[in-house]
Amino acid sequence: MTPRSKESHVLFLLIVGLLAWLVPGAGHLLLKEKKRAIIIFATIVLTFSTGLYVGSIGVINPVGATPWYVAQIMNSPMVAGLGHLTTTRHYFVYGRPSEIGQIYTSIAGLLNLLCIVNAVYLAHLRRAETN
Amino acid sequence: MLMIDAFVVASFTAPEKIGANPQSMLWLLPLVAAIVVAYKATKLPEIKAGNFLKEVAILFGSIIVFMIIIALVLCTLAWLITE
Repeated sequence: MTPRSKESHVLFLLIVGLLAWLVPGAGHLLLKEKKRAIIIFATIVLTFSTGLYVGSIGVINPVGATPWYVAQIMNSPMVAGLGHLTTTRHYFVYGRPSEIGQIYTSIAGLLNLLCIVNAVYLAHLRRAETN
Repeated sequence: MLMIDAFVVASFTAPEKIGANPQSMLWLLPLVAAIVVAYKATKLPEIKAGNFLKEVAILFGSIIVFMIIIALVLCTLAWLITE
Protein backbone atom coordinates (compact mmCIF):
# COMPACT_ATOMS: atom_id res chain seq x y z
CA MET A 1 0.00 0.00 0.00
CA THR A 2 1.57 3.35 -1.03
CA PRO A 3 1.51 6.26 1.47
CA ARG A 4 -1.04 8.13 -0.64
CA SER A 5 -3.49 5.22 -0.84
CA LYS A 6 -3.03 4.66 2.88
CA GLU A 7 -4.04 8.28 3.49
CA SER A 8 -7.08 7.99 1.26
CA HIS A 9 -8.00 4.75 3.03
CA VAL A 10 -7.89 6.44 6.43
CA LEU A 11 -9.93 9.35 5.04
CA PHE A 12 -12.51 6.90 3.64
CA LEU A 13 -12.78 5.16 7.03
CA LEU A 14 -13.26 8.56 8.70
CA ILE A 15 -16.00 9.50 6.22
CA VAL A 16 -17.78 6.16 6.80
CA GLY A 17 -17.56 6.63 10.59
CA LEU A 18 -18.75 10.24 10.49
CA LEU A 19 -21.62 9.44 8.12
CA ALA A 20 -22.68 6.51 10.30
CA TRP A 21 -22.73 8.83 13.32
CA LEU A 22 -24.57 11.62 11.48
CA VAL A 23 -27.40 9.34 10.31
CA PRO A 24 -27.71 5.81 11.77
CA GLY A 25 -27.16 3.28 8.97
CA ALA A 26 -25.66 5.78 6.52
CA GLY A 27 -22.20 4.22 6.87
CA HIS A 28 -23.55 0.86 5.73
CA LEU A 29 -25.48 2.56 2.91
CA LEU A 30 -22.20 4.05 1.67
CA LEU A 31 -20.80 0.50 1.58
CA LYS A 32 -23.82 -0.59 -0.53
CA GLU A 33 -25.27 -2.65 2.34
CA LYS A 34 -28.80 -1.35 1.76
CA LYS A 35 -30.70 -3.96 3.82
CA ARG A 36 -28.38 -3.59 6.81
CA ALA A 37 -28.65 0.20 6.56
CA ILE A 38 -32.46 0.13 6.58
CA ILE A 39 -32.61 -2.28 9.54
CA ILE A 40 -30.08 -0.24 11.54
CA PHE A 41 -31.80 3.07 10.77
CA ALA A 42 -35.27 1.78 11.66
CA THR A 43 -34.12 0.06 14.86
CA ILE A 44 -32.09 2.94 16.24
CA VAL A 45 -34.57 5.67 15.32
CA LEU A 46 -37.48 3.66 16.78
CA THR A 47 -35.61 2.91 20.02
CA PHE A 48 -34.52 6.53 20.41
CA SER A 49 -38.02 7.85 19.60
CA THR A 50 -39.61 5.43 22.08
CA GLY A 51 -37.27 6.75 24.78
CA LEU A 52 -38.20 10.33 23.94
CA TYR A 53 -41.91 9.49 23.84
CA VAL A 54 -41.85 7.76 27.25
CA GLY A 55 -39.61 10.21 29.08
CA SER A 56 -40.02 13.36 26.92
CA ILE A 57 -37.05 15.31 25.55
CA GLY A 58 -36.22 16.09 29.20
CA VAL A 59 -34.30 12.79 29.35
CA ILE A 60 -31.58 14.43 27.26
CA ASN A 61 -29.88 16.40 29.98
CA PRO A 62 -26.26 17.40 29.34
CA VAL A 63 -25.97 19.12 32.74
CA GLY A 64 -27.73 16.85 35.24
CA ALA A 65 -27.15 13.48 33.57
CA THR A 66 -23.81 13.78 31.80
CA PRO A 67 -22.91 10.04 31.65
CA TRP A 68 -26.29 9.27 30.01
CA TYR A 69 -25.79 12.21 27.63
CA VAL A 70 -22.44 10.79 26.47
CA ALA A 71 -24.23 7.59 25.39
CA GLN A 72 -27.20 9.52 23.93
CA ILE A 73 -25.02 11.71 21.72
CA MET A 74 -23.74 8.55 19.98
CA ASN A 75 -27.13 8.48 18.20
CA SER A 76 -26.31 11.54 16.14
CA PRO A 77 -24.77 15.00 16.64
CA MET A 78 -28.35 16.31 16.29
CA VAL A 79 -28.94 15.12 19.87
CA ALA A 80 -26.75 18.05 20.98
CA GLY A 81 -29.46 20.37 19.61
CA LEU A 82 -32.06 18.62 21.75
CA GLY A 83 -29.72 18.86 24.74
CA HIS A 84 -29.39 22.61 24.19
CA LEU A 85 -33.19 22.90 23.95
CA THR A 86 -33.78 21.04 27.22
CA THR A 87 -31.23 23.11 29.15
CA THR A 88 -32.58 26.44 27.91
CA ARG A 89 -36.31 25.63 28.15
CA HIS A 90 -36.15 23.48 31.31
CA TYR A 91 -38.04 20.27 30.54
CA PHE A 92 -38.07 18.26 33.77
CA VAL A 93 -38.80 14.54 34.08
CA TYR A 94 -38.57 12.31 37.16
CA GLY A 95 -39.25 8.76 38.29
CA ARG A 96 -39.84 5.68 36.15
CA PRO A 97 -40.50 7.55 32.85
CA SER A 98 -37.12 9.27 33.27
CA GLU A 99 -35.36 5.95 33.92
CA ILE A 100 -37.00 4.18 30.97
CA GLY A 101 -36.47 7.16 28.65
CA GLN A 102 -32.81 7.46 29.57
CA ILE A 103 -32.20 3.72 29.21
CA TYR A 104 -33.90 3.59 25.78
CA THR A 105 -32.15 6.66 24.36
CA SER A 106 -28.75 5.63 25.77
CA ILE A 107 -29.01 2.04 24.54
CA ALA A 108 -29.97 3.41 21.10
CA GLY A 109 -26.79 5.50 21.18
CA LEU A 110 -24.62 2.56 22.20
CA LEU A 111 -26.21 0.42 19.48
CA ASN A 112 -25.34 3.12 16.96
CA LEU A 113 -21.76 3.11 18.28
CA LEU A 114 -21.68 -0.64 17.58
CA CYS A 115 -22.96 0.02 14.05
CA ILE A 116 -20.39 2.81 13.49
CA VAL A 117 -17.55 0.48 14.51
CA ASN A 118 -19.01 -2.28 12.32
CA ALA A 119 -19.31 0.02 9.28
CA VAL A 120 -15.70 1.22 9.68
CA TYR A 121 -14.50 -2.37 10.12
CA LEU A 122 -16.42 -3.51 7.02
CA ALA A 123 -14.93 -0.62 5.01
CA HIS A 124 -11.45 -1.57 6.20
CA LEU A 125 -11.96 -5.25 5.36
CA ARG A 126 -13.21 -4.49 1.86
CA ARG A 127 -10.27 -2.22 1.10
CA ALA A 128 -7.87 -4.85 2.43
CA GLU A 129 -9.51 -7.53 0.23
CA THR A 130 -9.22 -5.44 -2.96
CA ASN A 131 -5.48 -4.79 -2.39
CA MET B 1 -51.57 20.07 9.61
CA LEU B 2 -50.72 22.44 12.48
CA MET B 3 -52.86 20.35 14.82
CA ILE B 4 -50.92 17.21 13.89
CA ASP B 5 -47.59 19.03 14.36
CA ALA B 6 -48.69 20.35 17.75
CA PHE B 7 -49.81 16.86 18.81
CA VAL B 8 -46.48 15.33 17.78
CA VAL B 9 -44.48 18.04 19.60
CA ALA B 10 -46.69 17.68 22.70
CA SER B 11 -46.12 13.91 22.70
CA PHE B 12 -42.38 14.43 23.06
CA THR B 13 -42.39 17.29 25.58
CA ALA B 14 -44.46 15.65 28.33
CA PRO B 15 -43.51 12.28 29.88
CA GLU B 16 -45.85 9.29 29.93
CA LYS B 17 -47.37 8.15 33.21
CA ILE B 18 -45.64 4.91 34.17
CA GLY B 19 -45.86 3.64 37.72
CA ALA B 20 -43.09 1.82 39.59
CA ASN B 21 -44.95 -1.51 39.45
CA PRO B 22 -44.00 -5.03 38.26
CA GLN B 23 -45.76 -4.40 34.91
CA SER B 24 -43.28 -1.63 34.10
CA MET B 25 -40.62 -4.36 33.78
CA LEU B 26 -42.30 -5.31 30.50
CA TRP B 27 -40.65 -2.22 28.99
CA LEU B 28 -37.50 -4.32 28.71
CA LEU B 29 -39.05 -6.48 25.97
CA PRO B 30 -38.96 -3.89 23.12
CA LEU B 31 -35.47 -2.88 24.25
CA VAL B 32 -34.22 -6.47 24.08
CA ALA B 33 -35.81 -6.78 20.61
CA ALA B 34 -34.02 -3.61 19.44
CA ILE B 35 -30.67 -4.82 20.79
CA VAL B 36 -31.10 -8.22 19.13
CA VAL B 37 -32.11 -6.75 15.75
CA ALA B 38 -29.21 -4.26 15.66
CA TYR B 39 -26.72 -6.88 16.83
CA LYS B 40 -27.83 -9.44 14.26
CA ALA B 41 -27.82 -6.78 11.50
CA THR B 42 -24.12 -6.25 12.15
CA LYS B 43 -23.15 -9.88 12.73
CA LEU B 44 -24.86 -11.88 9.97
CA PRO B 45 -22.67 -12.29 6.86
CA GLU B 46 -25.71 -11.96 4.57
CA ILE B 47 -29.14 -10.49 5.32
CA LYS B 48 -32.00 -12.71 4.10
CA ALA B 49 -35.47 -12.16 5.55
CA GLY B 50 -36.15 -15.75 6.68
CA ASN B 51 -32.71 -16.42 8.14
CA PHE B 52 -32.56 -12.97 9.77
CA LEU B 53 -35.94 -13.40 11.49
CA LYS B 54 -34.98 -16.90 12.65
CA GLU B 55 -31.69 -15.69 14.14
CA VAL B 56 -33.42 -12.73 15.81
CA ALA B 57 -36.12 -14.98 17.30
CA ILE B 58 -33.54 -17.46 18.65
CA LEU B 59 -31.40 -14.79 20.31
CA PHE B 60 -34.45 -12.91 21.66
CA GLY B 61 -35.83 -16.14 23.15
CA SER B 62 -32.44 -17.08 24.63
CA ILE B 63 -32.05 -13.70 26.34
CA ILE B 64 -35.59 -13.78 27.77
CA VAL B 65 -35.24 -17.38 29.01
CA PHE B 66 -31.86 -16.58 30.58
CA MET B 67 -33.31 -13.49 32.29
CA ILE B 68 -36.23 -15.53 33.66
CA ILE B 69 -33.82 -18.16 35.01
CA ILE B 70 -31.65 -15.46 36.66
CA ALA B 71 -34.78 -13.84 38.15
CA LEU B 72 -35.97 -17.18 39.56
CA VAL B 73 -32.53 -17.91 41.06
CA LEU B 74 -32.39 -14.45 42.66
CA CYS B 75 -35.96 -14.79 44.00
CA THR B 76 -35.10 -18.21 45.49
CA LEU B 77 -31.92 -16.82 47.06
CA ALA B 78 -33.82 -13.86 48.51
CA TRP B 79 -36.50 -16.22 49.87
CA LEU B 80 -33.88 -18.55 51.41
CA ILE B 81 -32.05 -15.64 53.07
CA THR B 82 -35.14 -13.90 54.43
CA GLU B 83 -37.14 -16.98 55.57
